[in-house]
Amino acid sequence: MGKEPLGIRSFRVLTGAVLITWLILPLVPLAIWSFAKGWFYPDILPRNWSMRAWEYAMSDTAGVLDSLWLTIWISLVATILSILVGVPAGRALGMYKFRGKEIVELMILAPTIVPGIAVVLGIHSIFISMGLTNSVEGVILVHLIPTLPYMVLVMAGVFANYDPAFEAQARSLGASPLKTFWYITLPAIRPGIIVGGLFAFLVSWSQYILTLLIGGGRVETLPLLLFNFATSGRNDITGAIGMIYILPGIIILLLTAKHLSGRSGAVGGFGQI
Amino acid sequence: MTHVSIQELTKVYPGATEPSLDRLSLEIPTGELTALLGPSGCGKTTTMKMIAGLLEPTSGDVCFDGRSVLRDKPENRGVVMVFQNYLLFPYMSVADNVGFGLKMRKTDPAEIKRRVGEMLDLVKLPDLGDRKPSALSGGQQQRIALARALIVQPNVLLLDEPLSNLDAHLRFEMRDLIRSLQQEMGITTIFVTHDQEEAVVLADRVALILDGQMKQYEKADVFYKRPVDEATARFFGGHNFIPGHSNGRAFDCALGKLVLPEGAKSGAGKLTFRPENVRIGHDADGENNLDAVIEDIIYLGTQTRLKLRVGDTALEAVVNPNEIENHPKGGNLPIHMPRTTLWVIE
Amino acid sequence: MSDRMKIFLLLLPAMSIIVVLFFGGLLIGLMRSFNYMPVIGLTEPDLSAYASVFTDREFYYSFLLTFHIAFTSTVISSILAIGAALLLRRNFIGRGVVNFLFQLNLTVPHLVGAIGILYLFSQSGSFARLAAEFGMIQRPSDFPALVFDPYAIGIILQYVWKEIPFIGVIVLANMQSIGEDYESVARSLGASKWQTFRHVLLPLIFPGVLSASVMVFAFTFGAYEIPAILGANFPAALPVLAYRKYTDVDLAARPEAMAMAIVIALLSALMIYFYVRYSRRRIRG
Repeated sequence: MGKEPLGIRSFRVLTGAVLITWLILPLVPLAIWSFAKGWFYPDILPRNWSMRAWEYAMSDTAGVLDSLWLTIWISLVATILSILVGVPAGRALGMYKFRGKEIVELMILAPTIVPGIAVVLGIHSIFISMGLTNSVEGVILVHLIPTLPYMVLVMAGVFANYDPAFEAQARSLGASPLKTFWYITLPAIRPGIIVGGLFAFLVSWSQYILTLLIGGGRVETLPLLLFNFATSGRNDITGAIGMIYILPGIIILLLTAKHLSGRSGAVGGFGQI
Repeated sequence: MTHVSIQELTKVYPGATEPSLDRLSLEIPTGELTALLGPSGCGKTTTMKMIAGLLEPTSGDVCFDGRSVLRDKPENRGVVMVFQNYLLFPYMSVADNVGFGLKMRKTDPAEIKRRVGEMLDLVKLPDLGDRKPSALSGGQQQRIALARALIVQPNVLLLDEPLSNLDAHLRFEMRDLIRSLQQEMGITTIFVTHDQEEAVVLADRVALILDGQMKQYEKADVFYKRPVDEATARFFGGHNFIPGHSNGRAFDCALGKLVLPEGAKSGAGKLTFRPENVRIGHDADGENNLDAVIEDIIYLGTQTRLKLRVGDTALEAVVNPNEIENHPKGGNLPIHMPRTTLWVIE
Repeated sequence: MSDRMKIFLLLLPAMSIIVVLFFGGLLIGLMRSFNYMPVIGLTEPDLSAYASVFTDREFYYSFLLTFHIAFTSTVISSILAIGAALLLRRNFIGRGVVNFLFQLNLTVPHLVGAIGILYLFSQSGSFARLAAEFGMIQRPSDFPALVFDPYAIGIILQYVWKEIPFIGVIVLANMQSIGEDYESVARSLGASKWQTFRHVLLPLIFPGVLSASVMVFAFTFGAYEIPAILGANFPAALPVLAYRKYTDVDLAARPEAMAMAIVIALLSALMIYFYVRYSRRRIRG
């Protein structure tokens, strides 16, 4: 729409630069701290650099690595369960119209908006009697509250754009229901499952209060460890754990950057990370 | 009211190697209705957006009454563009849509209301003001989009494929409406279309654009009778192109020596004639008579398409189904071609 | 198999989990907030937990603070996100890289952002050090209290940091699916750039902005770890207060914690109402 005056153009570039800087800025001190050997006021940058925090984080005895594997395990299982249970439900919501559908959608939507603290206190008091508190199983179960609805909503979007005529065609060509699923349905929905699954993993990966209450502090995932180091003033180790903690998200973003723009369905999950 | 002059208008989109529009020049006299005709992707909509100021040309100029308007902002050009899919604002009522342009000019609300009423009467939808656009049919939305454009009394009206989204029976109604409103208000109007029928039906003059360049700019019937080249003739449904040599009065080719109309060019070239101009039976004066064999008969309802062969040369003809009731496939068919229906191209 | 049976079986596992865990958790919380728990012998529901919560000044401070955090964060993030989306929808050199950087913190958990804000804005943080470098402050305590402060500025900064890209990506997707033609129509009908934004683009993206904002509001109202890291001790944000009550050595405080959880749940139910109203309209309109 006409040539832009130079003033407006530079204003645009400048605000863009400020915006991007602001979005990256909070990660900078964390990264610096992880390599600092003491970084005292009023030094702008640390006087001495060191790999101490990283060595600590990577050592077998400190428990950071154990926590990392535990967090990966919990998020992985929660994601796989969400996929197994979420894909069929997504199919029902995406492909069929039925009585009471709006209520079902509402029931699935609710956990994505109601904060964890509002439900986890009640869950905690039943889990005590079931012996599920302070256990990895209990934490995985409670992580399904944010991950499963998200997976269902993503898959409902995938199935809404899916043409079941391909399945009918395969059946008429002699494929069994199982083969039809394997050769026709699965390849068609695989991209949706992958993107939805990666984001569900991140949703579980970022849970704090659910893990804290149900795990009772015994199930120490990375965010719990990070919180403890941050509040006990070990900034260098906090920095190192923080860097480790954000790595999967950045890798996943690199893998899925294409899928993000224009697909607000999948983006919804970021509200909970 | 406004004479539109487009001079060497060129658009190369960032990152593209080929221009989307290559040095288009066009003079559109005041008050005329001109069609820009061409296949999709030939740069028609690009041209419109540049006239409206919604897109900046790479080079060239757009002048209204001799004055370049390239530096004018779109809202000050007095050009209104009506998009193909109407684009009525979905959250506004029909009346608010029609009154939008006046509201932007901060016209008095009572005055807006009055003029919206007039416009709705003009497009023959006086009772729909309170509805939402989603409650209207395609034809109604088109009329409202037209009303929304005309209410600001533009100097130049641009229409993007104005008839293409309408059913066959609505097209003629809409055509009549556009023509009558345009002539009543005397607005210089340009519309783009990929449909030669739409262009012919609506426009005073047609500019044919192929491959980003203008081929021919004439009154509509000329494209059928006197195409400039084979591509132009084909775009308008031409089929018969027979190589040979012209001496200005007759054309010497595989069909024999055929008499040409006055003004036909001389030299080597191709003889072209439209399938529907092939006449069945020999001419009494013996002019341009041929003996063809019927290779195939394709029944199309109101017309019948014939694939014919004269010696080794294949021809196509379109005739009235009754005319060939007694002529079977494989049989002989005498035909002739009136000289006025023949034309020579390069 | 009939379609109804098929739909039922497809939904059964997911709905069981959601009903048992989510709605079960809510229900138990509700029952305990009324001191009603037949299994452990509490058979007489009463309102004593609500009575003590609603007569406690700390609850009101806490509620107002939390509302202020959620409201201010949501409004600022939404406005800045619309601005960011307007910047990023244009074509420019390096757009891919800028888009990636814009989305980077979507995958960074709130907790990390909170720690980053702490290191930036605390009285011995990076900005305080910069201020000292330029001689603007003499000692750390001269730097304004931006974290652990009564106005929750640090918490709001963290949310604004985190939610600009979240709302921004949704608005950007929204703008892309709307396209630029509506704005072209408005321009050619005589609207200026500002009028086009105000009367055309803004109403078109409004439902999308609103549904994203509602999610942000509910999240910021109920998040625990961010105010736990960046917030003042008193008044604490409602989720922090609820957690403290729940883990209090005095078990009698638990029903009060449950009552606060129910308050949060009710507020988010209101948010769900708005969300459904506007996102449905967007889908169907």
